[in-house]
Amino acid sequence: MKQILSFILNGSPVDVIVTPTETLLDVLREKLGVTGPKRGCDDGDCGTCTVLLDGEPVRSCLTIALTVAGREVLTVEGLSTDGDLHPLQKAFHEHGAFQCGFCTPGMLMSAKALLDHNPTPSRTEIREYMSGNLCRCGSYEEIIEAIQVVAAGEYAPSGGKE
Amino acid sequence: MREVSYFAPTEVGEAVKLLAQHGEKAAVLAGGTDLVAQLNYYEIKPSALVYLGGLDLDYVREEGGKLVIGAGTTIAHLLTDDLIAQKFSVLAEAAATHGSPAIRTKATIGGNLGTASPAGDMIPALMVMDADLVLASSKGQRTVPIQEFFTGPGETVRTAEELILEIHVPLLKGKAVFKKLGRRKAQVCSIVSTAVRLEMDGGVCKDARIVLGSMAPTPLRCSKAEAMLKGKAVDAALVAECAAQAVAESTPIDDQRATAWYRAKAGTALVARALAEVAGI
Ligand SMILES: Cc1cc2nc3c(=O)[nH]c(=O)nc-3n(C[C@H](O)[C@H](O)[C@H](O)COP(=O)(O)OP(=O)(O)OC[C@H]3O[C@@H](n4cnc5c(N)ncnc54)[C@H](O)[C@@H]3O)c2cc1C
Ligand code: FES
Ligand code: FES
Repeated sequence: MKQILSFILNGSPVDVIVTPTETLLDVLREKLGVTGPKRGCDDGDCGTCTVLLDGEPVRSCLTIALTVAGREVLTVEGLSTDGDLHPLQKAFHEHGAFQCGFCTPGMLMSAKALLDHNPTPSRTEIREYMSGNLCRCGSYEEIIEAIQVVAAGEYAPSGGKE
Repeated sequence: MREVSYFAPTEVGEAVKLLAQHGEKAAVLAGGTDLVAQLNYYEIKPSALVYLGGLDLDYVREEGGKLVIGAGTTIAHLLTDDLIAQKFSVLAEAAATHGSPAIRTKATIGGNLGTASPAGDMIPALMVMDADLVLASSKGQRTVPIQEFFTGPGETVRTAEELILEIHVPLLKGKAVFKKLGRRKAQVCSIVSTAVRLEMDGGVCKDARIVLGSMAPTPLRCSKAEAMLKGKAVDAALVAECAAQAVAESTPIDDQRATAWYRAKAGTALVARALAEVAGI
């Protein structure tokens, strides 16, 4: 049974026709062409599909698309503003917080949620909060470092979103 | 292609009517952290999804000397709720070990009960407090003691027409702790877990609960081990004996997470640690 789903994606309203068993990840990638969130496992384990739903991190692969009706979804595509990278994106880039980059969209969204809740996390708090995002390339140290430098204010937001 | 209907009722009455209509063919969807993975891998093929997110079942209240927890309360909410922190901290301890932040924002306590995994981490904490589960159907409500709810892995006494509505937790006395052993600290199914609660009077145990997770087809209350403690002065020797008895009551298996042999060894150590901690020795 197809239905129209309306929600706010990266600040703009969208309408899209979906079926009840389609996940938010299916709809983003296959219907809306938003391919930032990746499909690593479709099982909730890897974290690369992580997006923010009303500001909270969720697995888009475990989220039935119709359940986000009327709500706000933020993906990595919504992090930069007018081509200006988000401080976390700059820090990840400059600190080499990835190799292949497959985990990065999910890492960035989890990191944003962490800093939104706790602007000055300790190293332990960062490790705990990021524990559901796996990096097969093993860039964990650089990821922690990038989050730490943003928390320390090194890439103060330059008019970027939040 | 298979046709699936989607319903997002906004009232419990409407939800239970849908379950009565669709019976076994309906899947109740809460946070989806178990259910949607099963859908993605075609392990289940429901013809209707009944989403509970619109029912406002995410609440924790104190009523008549009990905590009342809505089935839709997320694990993230349990972790930050003041009532839970003050009056039922063992549940907050268990919540802290559940998955990772992006799982906890959606996973619910009702879903943990609905999945009925022997490794469900909220269950031992609810069992040491003698929680009651309130089930609702179009015919009315019934209350099931948690001790009688689980009948096997993934199996419960809940019928397809029933919804888990809320959980009633008597504020029993004593100190309780939860301990979990997994392959890593986050996002793991336990190899073994335990919750224990002791009510002490001086050095003497007045009442005890010992529950093991991942050690039997359902979370397991170890009543013989509990009986060993009652009325006794709790010391290190009794703790060791009691932990061994608790594990002797269980039936651990070999699986991809650990062997039965390892589970028994680790389980004994985990229960002993938990008992020593609550007994203050
Ligand atoms: C990466 C990952 C890590 C995890 N880590 C843990 C962990 O550490 N500890 C742990 O215990 N679990 C863990 N889980 C499993 C899962 O998160 C929990 O079992 C969770 O509590 C399920 O809740 P939910 O709201 O997501 O349930 P859903 O997936 O929505 O539902 C689960 C089942 O319960 C039924 N159900 C849900 N709500 C109700 C209700 N109110 N009435 C009747 N039936 C209902 C559903 O029909 C379904 O059968 C993990 C899962 C993932 C993907
Ligand atoms: S694709 Fe969603 S967690 Fe792996
Ligand atoms: S950079 Fe390759 S998975 Fe993390």
